[in-house]
Amino acid sequence: MIQAEVLDELCDKIGRENVFDNIEERICYSFDATKEKHLPDLVIRPHTKEHVSTTISIANKYNIPVCPRGAGSGLSGGAVPIKGGIALDLKNMNKIVEINARDLTVTVEPGVVTKDLQDEAAKLRLFYPPEPGSAGFSTIGGNVAECTGGMTGMKYGVTRDYVLAMEIVLPDGSIINTGRKTLRSVAGYDLTRFFVGSEGTLGVFTRITLKLLPLPEKIGTIMSYFKNLDDALDTTDSILIKNHFLPRSLEFVDKTSIEAVRGPSKERIPEEAEALLLIDVDGNERNVVNDISKIENICKENNALEALVAKTDDERKAFWDIRRSISPSLFKIASMKFNDDFCVPRSKVREVLKKVYELSKTYSIQVAAFGHIGEGHVHLNVIYDDGKEIDLSVHNLISKVLEEVVSVGGTITAEHGVGDTKSEFVKLELSPHEIEIMKGLKKMFDPKGIMNPGKIFA
Amino acid sequence: MKLFKKTKTKDTKDTKDTKDIRVLNDLINTLGRKKVLSEIEDRVCYSFDSTKQKALPDIIIRPTSTSDISATLSIANKYEVPIYARGAGTGLSGGAVPIHGGIVFDLKSMNRIIDICPEDFVATVEPGVVTKHFQDEVAKHGLFYPPDPSSAAFSTIGGNVAECAGGITGLKYGVTRDYVLALEIVLPDGSVINTGRKTLRSVTGYDLTRLFVGSEGTLGIFTRITVKLIPQPEKIDTLAAFFSDRNDAIDAADSIIDNNILPRTLEFMDQMSINAVRGYGGVAIDEDVKALLLIDIDGTGESIKHELSIVENVCKENRALRVRVAETAKERDSIWAVRRIISPALYNIATHKINEDICVPRSKIKEMLLKVDEINKKYPIYVANFGHIGDGNIHVNLMYKDEPGQEELAERMVHEIMEEVVACGGTISGEHGIGNKKSQFMELEISPQELAIMKRLKSFFDPKGIMNPGKMFPS
Repeated sequence: MIQAEVLDELCDKIGRENVFDNIEERICYSFDATKEKHLPDLVIRPHTKEHVSTTISIANKYNIPVCPRGAGSGLSGGAVPIKGGIALDLKNMNKIVEINARDLTVTVEPGVVTKDLQDEAAKLRLFYPPEPGSAGFSTIGGNVAECTGGMTGMKYGVTRDYVLAMEIVLPDGSIINTGRKTLRSVAGYDLTRFFVGSEGTLGVFTRITLKLLPLPEKIGTIMSYFKNLDDALDTTDSILIKNHFLPRSLEFVDKTSIEAVRGPSKERIPEEAEALLLIDVDGNERNVVNDISKIENICKENNALEALVAKTDDERKAFWDIRRSISPSLFKIASMKFNDDFCVPRSKVREVLKKVYELSKTYSIQVAAFGHIGEGHVHLNVIYDDGKEIDLSVHNLISKVLEEVVSVGGTITAEHGVGDTKSEFVKLELSPHEIEIMKGLKKMFDPKGIMNPGKIFA
Repeated sequence: MKLFKKTKTKDTKDTKDTKDIRVLNDLINTLGRKKVLSEIEDRVCYSFDSTKQKALPDIIIRPTSTSDISATLSIANKYEVPIYARGAGTGLSGGAVPIHGGIVFDLKSMNRIIDICPEDFVATVEPGVVTKHFQDEVAKHGLFYPPDPSSAAFSTIGGNVAECAGGITGLKYGVTRDYVLALEIVLPDGSVINTGRKTLRSVTGYDLTRLFVGSEGTLGIFTRITVKLIPQPEKIDTLAAFFSDRNDAIDAADSIIDNNILPRTLEFMDQMSINAVRGYGGVAIDEDVKALLLIDIDGTGESIKHELSIVENVCKENRALRVRVAETAKERDSIWAVRRIISPALYNIATHKINEDICVPRSKIKEMLLKVDEINKKYPIYVANFGHIGDGNIHVNLMYKDEPGQEELAERMVHEIMEEVVACGGTISGEHGIGNKKSQFMELEISPQELAIMKRLKSFFDPKGIMNPGKMFPS
């Protein structure tokens, strides 16, 4: 509960119209894409950095938790106000402040939707590569807070590689500027990247300067079906390791995921298909045509059932719709889903997936795997119907999978972040000493622990 | 020895010497005689870097393992002895100079490539591996480690990571930071941590890896570095474009990028740099040339041909006097020789050099160079500008004579330049780091609050302040 005097102070300083304490609003901010639920006491919709700074100063004074929120599409509970307090809705801070084509930089407020930025940049023939599956609705602020990777990471790297500078409101309400709006800068410690991926636990980004690239002239797309996973993985190896292509995207989809999209997809999927690769190649026109035909051959050499080359933009879109519809379609199979996103060295993908499917059988729980196979990054969805016993098995299954992942040198999260859904598994990957260091850093920036409490650290 | 500089009185001298001897004995007992050097001949060899500053260390340690480093740091921490990490000593900001005496780690003795995993596109190295050697080794697997500072043939990966070097491929491929995936680090108390993972992605917890990249040896010692690799481009073609006017060269660079081409390298040289190279011999550049661009395009044969013809046209449209496309590997090499010899050639102009590496938004380059010209009018100093124009990272070299007062003048001029750089949104260092050479300018760019945060981070990791003291922060 927030005391009346605090509420008055907030209304007084940032305007009653930006402060909401009615239950309808609070419910809207009680969850994210993990389906966790927890009511905030208050919702605040800042329009300016001063609003953010004032809100956080007051929260700090009264020890009130603050949970920043972009689109609420996160998959680790980052935006769920599990300790109540203030949900800070940043969607109104959604201005693209400046795109500078000459400097290849853009400065945005955190609430800008990623796809909107990409579209605006494209008008100037510029390109912002990081593209999570949620790009159509998730925000740059959220992408930076989690350090998302997305579909183009194989060739273009992840969000971190594009963040040049930030304006950040710290937990005491003060505002700092990290980095510079230049393509290079090394003065002092790299506070910018230290804040990237900090999951709202250290401060709130109010402006973000990103690096842009020239827009590739053309994108070519191939969708290829395989009768088993091994053929698909052999194809991946051949594309990357034997032939040294660096595709813009290299996505794989497993059998269960294919089953889930068979219905909704307009594309005809061959009956015997148990794996699918979706490959984008970009560059200048001639290059793309060449690469696509070579990759088409590689697919065929590795026993592809079909290798379909998109001939039009509509076809491209249709192929990608299959990939994008997996996540929602999985709810057809069962009502609950735990979305894990581990990453292992690519050479270990085969053995880890084998182990995952074995575990799935042992626990009689369905799993669907898909994701950015070129980087060894797998979205593992554990699908189940609610129930106490099941919950325990799901938990055990996930534990076993993550133990396996870490034992082969992998990470428990590649782009979704830890949040509260994975905080208990952090100790698998990080040593007690490393966790202590991180906790010490958290305390240095946020001594009262008001910023997104209950996240990252178990 | 003078490990404890502050104890100067005669009374404490004996105690000090006893302590000094104890440090040396502890080190020898722990590491063995061979790894501990304290003769004056050795100490002199570790007293400088490319900034030509000099300060004698007391002891040099040549570690061969993480545990050697850990043991040394534990001892240094116990006795509060300053400690410095040194790769090849080619740094340009004083990072490796032991300005407060103490212990220098010579990390060239840890120069193993631990593994190259062609299937995973990752490799793990010890810090003393020379960058070029590493690039050559990964190339055998058809792979590519892009960060390529001009010093690549002798500088080390450890040093590159400590400074976050960019190099000549940065516009297309990014900087060192973008390739570091995981680090094994010995902290100032001697404990060992592992940050990041040997995977292409990982976001578990705070990004300690990048906090340590570019930390200039002030937070800990990297003992293993895991980097990302990418497939080696099929082919590289090279082109040199000659201009009679600096602004034409800058316009051409802009217009190449406007044409959606990201060259592998896009290097600029101004008239003074060209004059220096001309005088150095071996390279003939026509008299009417006042600026030039050196451009590498990489990719597949087909796409290079296509992009090269666009670049050639763009240069001509922007009033290039001549454009020369390298037809053979030998020609390619002779074009690049021009860029490689700039640094030594500059000493033809004057015996002393201050090498600054400012970086500004690309749209501000013309304005910035004009400001440098303006400032230069007030000083009897020669200025040569060259560098990574695509990134806005210009190496501004101030050349001055070995005469009384000249150095002070040069430093005053640098200060004026730095003020202008920061005023137009730039940074005082694009890739060389701050060290002690630029620490006095930190306050121009970094606000007191941000500086205070950085200092708190420093004392969080290194409460006794033993790691590379006197670097990064203004005194």
